[in-house]
Amino acid sequence: MEAMSLDLINISKSFGGRTILEGFSLSVRPGSVTCLFGPSGCGKTTLLNIMGGILVPDSGMVTGFPEEQKSYIFQETRILPWKTVLGNVLFPLVDRMPRQEALDHARAMIRMVGLEKEEKLYPGQLSGGMKQRVSIARAFAFPGTLILMDEAFQNLDKTLKYNILNSFMEIWKKDGRTVVFVTHDMEEALYMGQQIVLVDDRPLRISRILGEGDEKSREALIPKQL
Amino acid sequence: MQWAATCQMKNLFTQNRVISLSAVILLLILWEILSVTSGSDQILPGPDDTLVTLARMAGTTAFYHSLLVTLLRGLLGFALALAVALALGIPAGLNSGFEAAIRPVIVIFRSTPVISIILLALIWFQVNQVPVFIGFLTMFPILTTNISQGIRHTEPSFIQMARLYAVSDSRILREIYLPSILPWLVSGISTAVGFGWRSVIIGEVLSQPRYGIGALMQDAQSFLLVSEVIAWTLVAILIGSLFEWLIHRGEKRIIRWKP
Repeated sequence: MEAMSLDLINISKSFGGRTILEGFSLSVRPGSVTCLFGPSGCGKTTLLNIMGGILVPDSGMVTGFPEEQKSYIFQETRILPWKTVLGNVLFPLVDRMPRQEALDHARAMIRMVGLEKEEKLYPGQLSGGMKQRVSIARAFAFPGTLILMDEAFQNLDKTLKYNILNSFMEIWKKDGRTVVFVTHDMEEALYMGQQIVLVDDRPLRISRILGEGDEKSREALIPKQL
Repeated sequence: MQWAATCQMKNLFTQNRVISLSAVILLLILWEILSVTSGSDQILPGPDDTLVTLARMAGTTAFYHSLLVTLLRGLLGFALALAVALALGIPAGLNSGFEAAIRPVIVIFRSTPVISIILLALIWFQVNQVPVFIGFLTMFPILTTNISQGIRHTEPSFIQMARLYAVSDSRILREIYLPSILPWLVSGISTAVGFGWRSVIIGEVLSQPRYGIGALMQDAQSFLLVSEVIAWTLVAILIGSLFEWLIHRGEKRIIRWKP
C-alpha cells in the first residue's frame, strides 16, 4: 500500500504581529529525507514544530503528519538529567515494547552513537556532543515512522558528525523512515538531503527545491553558499 | 587542575569545620562565664551541671519514653503534612486556578500564630493529638508551597519532549515532575522539619501529655529545675541537628545525578 504523502498546504503562522509563515506549502514523500536549508532564525523551527504538532498554524492544512509516530531531535538536547544514558534512551520505549526488547533496542542504538561505555553515566557527566548523541539514540530507538530534526548535529565535531551521519543513513536505508531536518549547515544538507528545500527569510518561503536528479544545481549550491 | 581544585575545596571544608567547632567551644565558654556571674544554679547552671543532669536523666526510662513519643508525634505530623502537601501542591503547581483557590488557605495557616492553633487544638483534640496536629499545621503550608513551586519550575521543554513521544501522564508525573521537584521538596522538608519539631515540643508543653520532651520540660520548669530544662533543650537541639544532617545526607543520595 502506498503511504499517503505528508503535505503542508497554504500554512500561515505569526507571533505577536510578526509573520513567520505565509501561504507556505510543501509536500514530503514518505520514506524520503527532506532538508529545510536556510539562514538561522528564518522560521525553519516554526515549520518543523507545525509538522510535529507542537504548534497549530493560524491557517492552512497539515495532512499526513498528525497520524505519524514522531521522533524528535531537538536543538537543545532535552535529555533528562536524572536518568542515565540508558534510562534516557529507554524513556519513550518502555510503554511500547516488552522490557527486554526495549533494553536490547536501546543498547543497540547507544552502541551506534558510540556511547556503550557511558551507558550508566548521567548527563551531567557527559560533554555537549555526547548529550546530543544520547538524544539522537533516543530518537532512533523510538519506533516511529517520522523523524524531525532541528539542527541536531550542530554541536558535534566534524569526525563524529560524519560518523553519526553515516550511521544515520545506514539505518535509514534499512527502515526507510521519513526524515525532515532543519539545518543551516550546507554540508549536512548536501550529504543527507534527497530533497533540499532552500528557504528564504521571513515570511518563510521556498526559493528553490533541489531533488536528487539536480546534481548540477546541487553543485551550483556549493560556490554560491561558500 | 581539577584535582587541585577538589583539594582546595576539601581544605576549605575542613577549615570551615574547624571554625564551626571553635564557635561551639566559644559559646560553651560564654555560657560558663554567664553561669558563674549569675551566681546561682537556680538561675543559670553551667554546661558541667547541665551535662551531669543530662547523664542522670539518660539513666531513666521516662527519658527514652519521652524522646520516642515526641519523635513519633513529630514523624506522624510530618507524614500527614507531606501527604496533604503532595495532594494539594501537585495540582496547584499544574493548575493556576487551583493554586489561586488554595492560596488563601496557605496564607491563613502561615500567618496564624502557633499559640492560637494550640489553644484551639486543646479544645478540639485529645491531649495526645494536639502536638501532632500542631506539627502538621506548621509543616504542611511550607511543604505545599515548595511542591507547587517545584512543579511550576519544571522545565517545559522536557514535558513537551515526553508528550511528543506520547509518554503517559502518570509517567510524566513520576519520571519528570517528581525528580525535578526533589530539590524543592528537600529544601521544603528542611525548613518544615525545623519549624515542625519546635512546634511539636511547644504543643507538648501546653497540652501536657504524660510523656514527651515538652511535657517533661514543663514539669521541670514548674519545679524550678533549670538544669533539666536546659538539658532537654540540648536534647531537642541535638535531635533537630540530626534531622538536618539526615536530610542533607538523604539529598546527596537521592539527587545523585547532580554532578
